[in-house]
Amino acid sequence: MTRTIWLTSYPKSGNTWFRMLVANLSAKDGKPVDINDLPERGGIASARGPFDYLTLIDSGLLTHDEIDCLRPRVYEALASGLDDDEYDKAQDVPPVRFVKAHDAYTLTPKGEPLLAGRRGADGAIVIVRDVAPSIANHNRTTIDAAIELMDNRQATYCAKLGRLDQQLRQRVPGWSGHIESWLDQNDIPVHLIRYEDMKADTIGTFRRALDFAGRPADDEDIRRAVNYSDFAELRRQEANNGFRERSQPHLGGQFFRRGEAGAWRDELSAEQVARIEDAHAPMMRRLGYELASGIPLARIA
Amino acid sequence: MQFYRISGLSVASEIGLPGLIAGTPEPEPQVTIRLGPVPESLPEPTASGPTWQIAGKQFLLRIPDIARFLLNDGSEIVFAPETAAGAVDIPIFILGSAFGILLHQREQIVLHASAVRVGDQAVLFCGPSGAGKSTMAAALAQCGYPLVSEDVCAITAAGSGAPMVFPDGRQLKLWAQTIDKLELAERRGARVRASLEKFYVDAHDAFSEPLPLGAIYALREARPPHASGIEVPNVVDTALILRRNAYRPYLVRRMGQKTNYFHAATAIANSAGIFYLTRALDFAKMPEVIASLERHWLDQQLMEKAA
Repeated sequence: MTRTIWLTSYPKSGNTWFRMLVANLSAKDGKPVDINDLPERGGIASARGPFDYLTLIDSGLLTHDEIDCLRPRVYEALASGLDDDEYDKAQDVPPVRFVKAHDAYTLTPKGEPLLAGRRGADGAIVIVRDVAPSIANHNRTTIDAAIELMDNRQATYCAKLGRLDQQLRQRVPGWSGHIESWLDQNDIPVHLIRYEDMKADTIGTFRRALDFAGRPADDEDIRRAVNYSDFAELRRQEANNGFRERSQPHLGGQFFRRGEAGAWRDELSAEQVARIEDAHAPMMRRLGYELASGIPLARIA
Repeated sequence: MQFYRISGLSVASEIGLPGLIAGTPEPEPQVTIRLGPVPESLPEPTASGPTWQIAGKQFLLRIPDIARFLLNDGSEIVFAPETAAGAVDIPIFILGSAFGILLHQREQIVLHASAVRVGDQAVLFCGPSGAGKSTMAAALAQCGYPLVSEDVCAITAAGSGAPMVFPDGRQLKLWAQTIDKLELAERRGARVRASLEKFYVDAHDAFSEPLPLGAIYALREARPPHASGIEVPNVVDTALILRRNAYRPYLVRRMGQKTNYFHAATAIANSAGIFYLTRALDFAKMPEVIASLERHWLDQQLMEKAA
């Protein structure tokens, strides 16, 4: 039976890159997969489509809390392969279904895990990225606004009341809060990946993640997937054809930005860096990230 | 009892269904809607999902903390509120879910679509929730194309003639933002549910007679690789569009309707037309979208050139 693995991260932390790597394991015809051809349903846990499709209820007629109460049922159904036809039929069923999730690991108003705990997935790969660089990568918002959002434990996405967002509401309680919620839950096994390690040793980091997920791949497949998912390739495809997963394609801008681990240093002021570190130092230390103010760190094992 | 005509069927209901076309009392209505006991589950279900079960000719739908609905053989909907608050919301879920499923039991083609009248035909816009069906219909209604159907669209592919669309006079359901952007505040009615910023909007010259089906547009957002425009899908996609835009597509196969949808797609593609309408989800672009539709209707001879 197909295993389900959540790919969870705070936004702009390399989640999409990881999905490109996975997709490129199955690249055919000697060329990289089309960035606009990633499976839709595997796209994101908060997608509205599968909810409506499986519950037969129009999510547009439910409140955010009512939807949350039903979401565990949907993930259980998806994990058990209930949607085996029609909706987004895969050519060949992969051994592991990787599903992106920006939701924090939270409980529903009825007190059960929103993502259905073990019944919803076999494990989670948590991708983290140092806080300052992921802020510098935020599109269409000021850096100060992004810093505030990253420190907001009540933050939500797609929670508007006067319109229908394309995704279901997600609770994303800041950078530290999001990571903490996943690392500290005990329902499902977690494999932690640092974006910086993925940059430094893509092949090794990717192989260990695949081992955790139970997705067999030989060295040749992994090497090819890494080459095909090279940043220059992703950027080239986006420049030529656009990227459908950009949140508002008509507003322009690029999803795949610099992809350089130290790029943020040009974009944030010393005062902004200090503010970020003041808010997130404990989690930064826990993940082994250096504080720019020079406080020595104990790297985690 | 109150009497209605819904998707062409005579209906007697113990509960008022706001906005529908009133029907004349009939001694033997095709569908009865009544309050009654509804079990938590069905014995020996043949198919089931997160909120529903099928056992033979019975279908159980549960909307947690609101109500349960038992659908019997396409002719009866029994409802049981789960909470006092839920009782208020029963009509919206009868119209929004239960009746659509009942139409599957009757082996009718039923699409997740809103429709307007163009010339003497019905033009449908279909897509999942959030695709912009109601917004499209509302914007067209403002341009003088009367609303035919909202959200659910029953089609009868009878004999050799053009498939027919049955209006039922539902009001538009629009989010506060859409009402604001389309300047429809004056026609805004009650909230669809007390807890939602979604309102009924009166489409003043709604149409109530069956109309031949003129065209179906599957709504898509302009997003790579799909650019704005109207296009004819390939043959495989044509059949898939109809099935994927069934009202509750998951039920098509599970209720043995796959062949019906395939035949209907062929009939509709031949007699009317099935198209993709791809556009940016941007209110500012609406006049452009309507202009391109009008050009298409002239080409398709749904509309005559102005003298």
